[in-house]
Amino acid sequence: MIIRRVVGKLGSLTLTLVLASALIFFSRFMVPGDPVSFLLRGRQPSPEAIAAVTEQFGLNLPPWEQYLRWIGGMFQGDFGRSLQFRDEVSTVIGDRLPVTLGLVALAAVMILVTGIVAGTIAALNRGRLPDRLILTVLTALGAIPPFVGAIILIAVFAVQLNWFPAFGSGDGFFDTIHHLILPSVAMAISFIVLIGKITRMSMVEQLGREHVQVATSRGLKPLTVVRRHVFRNALGPIFTVSGLLIAGLLVSTAIVESAFGIAGVGSLLVQSVNRLDFPVVQAIVLLVVAAFVIVNAIVDLLQPLIDPRAAAGEAGR
Amino acid sequence: MTLLEISGLTLDLPNGKRLLHGIDLTVSVGETVALVGESGSGKSLTAQSVLGLLPSGAQTSGQVLVEGSDVLTMKPPELLAYRRSTAAMVFQDPRAGINPMRTIGDHLTEALRLGEGWSVARARERAIEVLAAVDMPRPHDHLRQYPHELSGGMLQRVMIAGALAGSPRLLVCDEPTTALDVTTQAQILRVLAEQRDKRSMGLLFITHDLNLAASLCDRVYVMNDGRVGEEGPARQVFLNPETAYARRLVAATPTITVQPNEVPAPAATAPGPAVLEVRDLTKTYRARGREPVHAAKNVTVDIRRGDALGVVGESGSGKSTLARMIVGLERADAGTIAIDGHTLKGQPRKRVDRLDRARRVQMVFQDPYLSLDPRMTASQAVEDALHLHHPRLRMADIRTQALTLLSSVGLATTQAEALPRTLSGGQRQRVAIARALAIEPSLLVMDEATSALDVSVQAQVLDVISEIRRERGLTILFISHDLAVVRRVCERSVVMRAGEIVESAPTIDLLTRPQHEYTRLLVDSVPRVMLVGGNT
Amino acid sequence: MSRPTPTMALKVMRSTGHRRVTVSWTISIVVLGLFTLAAIFAPLVAPYNPDQLDFGAIYANPNLAHWLGTDSLGRDTLSRIIYGARTALLAPLIVVIASTILGILLGLLAGWRGGWIDAAIGRLLDVLLSFPALLIAILAVALFGKGLVAPVIAMSIAYAPFVARLTRSLVISERARPYVSAYRVQGFSGGWIALRRVLPNVVPTVGAQSTLNFGYVLAELAGLSFLGLGVQAPTADWGAMINESQAGLVGGHFLPALIPAIAVVIVVVAVNVIGEEISERIGGGTPA
Repeated sequence: MIIRRVVGKLGSLTLTLVLASALIFFSRFMVPGDPVSFLLRGRQPSPEAIAAVTEQFGLNLPPWEQYLRWIGGMFQGDFGRSLQFRDEVSTVIGDRLPVTLGLVALAAVMILVTGIVAGTIAALNRGRLPDRLILTVLTALGAIPPFVGAIILIAVFAVQLNWFPAFGSGDGFFDTIHHLILPSVAMAISFIVLIGKITRMSMVEQLGREHVQVATSRGLKPLTVVRRHVFRNALGPIFTVSGLLIAGLLVSTAIVESAFGIAGVGSLLVQSVNRLDFPVVQAIVLLVVAAFVIVNAIVDLLQPLIDPRAAAGEAGR
Repeated sequence: MTLLEISGLTLDLPNGKRLLHGIDLTVSVGETVALVGESGSGKSLTAQSVLGLLPSGAQTSGQVLVEGSDVLTMKPPELLAYRRSTAAMVFQDPRAGINPMRTIGDHLTEALRLGEGWSVARARERAIEVLAAVDMPRPHDHLRQYPHELSGGMLQRVMIAGALAGSPRLLVCDEPTTALDVTTQAQILRVLAEQRDKRSMGLLFITHDLNLAASLCDRVYVMNDGRVGEEGPARQVFLNPETAYARRLVAATPTITVQPNEVPAPAATAPGPAVLEVRDLTKTYRARGREPVHAAKNVTVDIRRGDALGVVGESGSGKSTLARMIVGLERADAGTIAIDGHTLKGQPRKRVDRLDRARRVQMVFQDPYLSLDPRMTASQAVEDALHLHHPRLRMADIRTQALTLLSSVGLATTQAEALPRTLSGGQRQRVAIARALAIEPSLLVMDEATSALDVSVQAQVLDVISEIRRERGLTILFISHDLAVVRRVCERSVVMRAGEIVESAPTIDLLTRPQHEYTRLLVDSVPRVMLVGGNT
Repeated sequence: MSRPTPTMALKVMRSTGHRRVTVSWTISIVVLGLFTLAAIFAPLVAPYNPDQLDFGAIYANPNLAHWLGTDSLGRDTLSRIIYGARTALLAPLIVVIASTILGILLGLLAGWRGGWIDAAIGRLLDVLLSFPALLIAILAVALFGKGLVAPVIAMSIAYAPFVARLTRSLVISERARPYVSAYRVQGFSGGWIALRRVLPNVVPTVGAQSTLNFGYVLAELAGLSFLGLGVQAPTADWGAMINESQAGLVGGHFLPALIPAIAVVIVVVAVNVIGEEISERIGGGTPA
């Protein structure tokens, strides 16, 4: 049963990845005109450069063969060559990946902790003052996109108070953390509302369930009831949304890293778009999509740990 | 000795609405007391107040004394201890009432372990003991199971076991069998009665079913609109109700008890030609990884013009599938359906076929809350149908006809303009009937058409149906799980189980001389008051 | 910025049960109305030409001549905010309308027909949903060059799956209701039921939910301009204004960057308050 589930999920995951990668690859073909001049936009290509690009992308092959070469290369860690750096795309991205992952991890922790705590407090006080207060604050925070958050944080905490650096990613563990705090907060702000509201909603829904009333009627302490019957049961949706969060965070790094001058994958994406370095753009887009799809598949596979009905395949999602 | 004594209990919501107007009620040790009422009567609220489970912000006055202490004024620790060891409650829907993410064992032992500080082993022992007490087949194995692995009836036993785990002296049961089939209900009631006697508990039993109350309980309280209307020994309330409301309720409650001198009601008209002829209808649902389900196995049914045929069965018997195949919502695997001698195709596709099918058979669905389009007023619903079948009729004529139809089922012109959400369940079902009649079908299929309604409303709708039959000589296929209702409507009935018709006979004969053992089980399971002798 | 599935978002909104028809609703309407009017009548309302340089008044603080001050090139911030409202409001409006129409069509088709059509559309939506909207927009810029046209088209496609999933689930739950069976039994055709009866029951909820996308789209498109990939200088755009003024932050010139940032926040809050209120009213109206 479990094995069939895993195999089924893996199949679905692979299909989604194949389709998504094809979409990314063939998106280039939507651009009218000659692929060589598209790839070498803004440059004065020498005949050798044209030959090199034609060879690298297999531009004289039929499209599906180009795709197979590209995707096949990916599996061997060959993401092609960057046009701006004269280096392997994999090296360029690999150098910048750690700081981006650190940023995302830091932001994710902030979001989950504040979101779940705020949502829980709101749910347990539903309809009363703390609930309304939290909802209002969450709504307000939700309207602060990362670049706005970045501007405000830089103005207040970097320039005015001078508590945190406004620029760069620092050296060594603590210095890096110090550098990454403002960017991760800027990124986290607008996502807290997501986790906060889903936590609140899920818990409010569980609080209204009859089994909670049954547990209460059995003489359990209110806190025990909340812990064992409300929070535990409410975890499923929170878990699912946390998976979806990853995609949003990965993309937000583009904005936040640019704002804070951090040399990560996000700012590399923007820089590559600016410098017309399509191979790097393509590779980063694929990585973000793959990360999102894989994380969500993992979240999906882990659901039965939370809800035994999911294993039986009858849980309503 | 008095166990529970409620006196002068009132309950007000924060918005000032008073839901209970001074309830007085007592339950003695070992006594079974029923609290009967229709929805909104306040019976569940009264039951919950016994456990101190009140809506948040509700204001109460009066007393709920259990063994001399007032539940309403207990301090939190006292109240928790009281719920763990003195009183317990069995809720209506076990599927909703047991946490789906925790094991049965956890459900049974958590109050003991976390509240009373019992060791895991000791709590486990008690859990096995109570599971055995409610006749669960494999107590040891059940502890590790999750709720979704058990049937509804089994789960309700688990719920009862959970209530018994703290050895309560008062057991409050809130409609504990309403979600269950009648044969399962009979088993659960037997378990409850057994445990009550063995443990000499007091039992407060909340139900909408007067038959059930009268058959199980010593005394009955009839509630209406937040007040106790009548109180007395069960048989007396049932056979000689004193207050007007109780009399109406008793009169509206269908029963399967057959008076000794009762003869089968004659058919509405003289036996005519067959309207519906179903031959060897077969339908099997196959889902991957599951056992195939036989919804219909060689079902053969006939109805003559003007007759009403009842189809009785429990859930999963295939009775609804039969209805859906007849009206063309599902396709049969094999067999034929003919109406007025015309063999019908599986699912009509072409416009001509669809309209032809519609004129032959119409259907009234179970849930009046979902069977009407929320955006369409009562008269629009009927006009839609009229317009489709009489495209050349002028709108003004359609409208007049719609209003006439609605008034024929007892709806006023003002209600004709109302959207479904402002209509009551009974009114909606009348709209559904009018909508079906608008097409003037040869056959009307009613699938549990009154099951979602309170008994007094049900009685009114059943009256509407019999009036229509009298006036129009309509032929009806009446599907229900409730033998007593079927008996009010149908001269003949068939009994279905697992997709098969096990018995077909005049309804009176089914009740008095059931031939098939399943029919006998079904009839015996229906609670009823014995006209002679004591309570069962 | 990615979001949870629409159904969840819908429940989130519904769960904020208490009714506040109220100050926040009124203020939001007024704010949005003002910004809309300012955008439409920008040439009449704006005190200056938004692109007019004034090197005599660089980084001017708010004063009577420049109510909100000026930027590094001496351009009037208020005028640029007023002109910037045009792209800020129009582009998300187009995205919301286009994605709603596209999503409803896909969702209705998938939910009503079921079977392989549903499976195929579901797979397509899965694939599209694995691309965050901003990422599709950036990819579109990489392919078709800077500006707002490609991102607006890309985002219309990126948001359609959310609408489609919500529509699909609503259509499926409607289809399972007996009123739909009742129409069938009366002899109505499937297409008629789907388009004339089910669709109108579903559209209000979906539409209300779509209005909530407006704020996200606005923020994302402004973000794109902030990155320098969207609206190009010297055109006045809130995101681009922040981008151009970011360098001044370190020098303590906060206002030219903060004011457009605050404009974004105010409009997003107003739109979200209105959207939530509409969802709530509609959610309360039809049983879902």
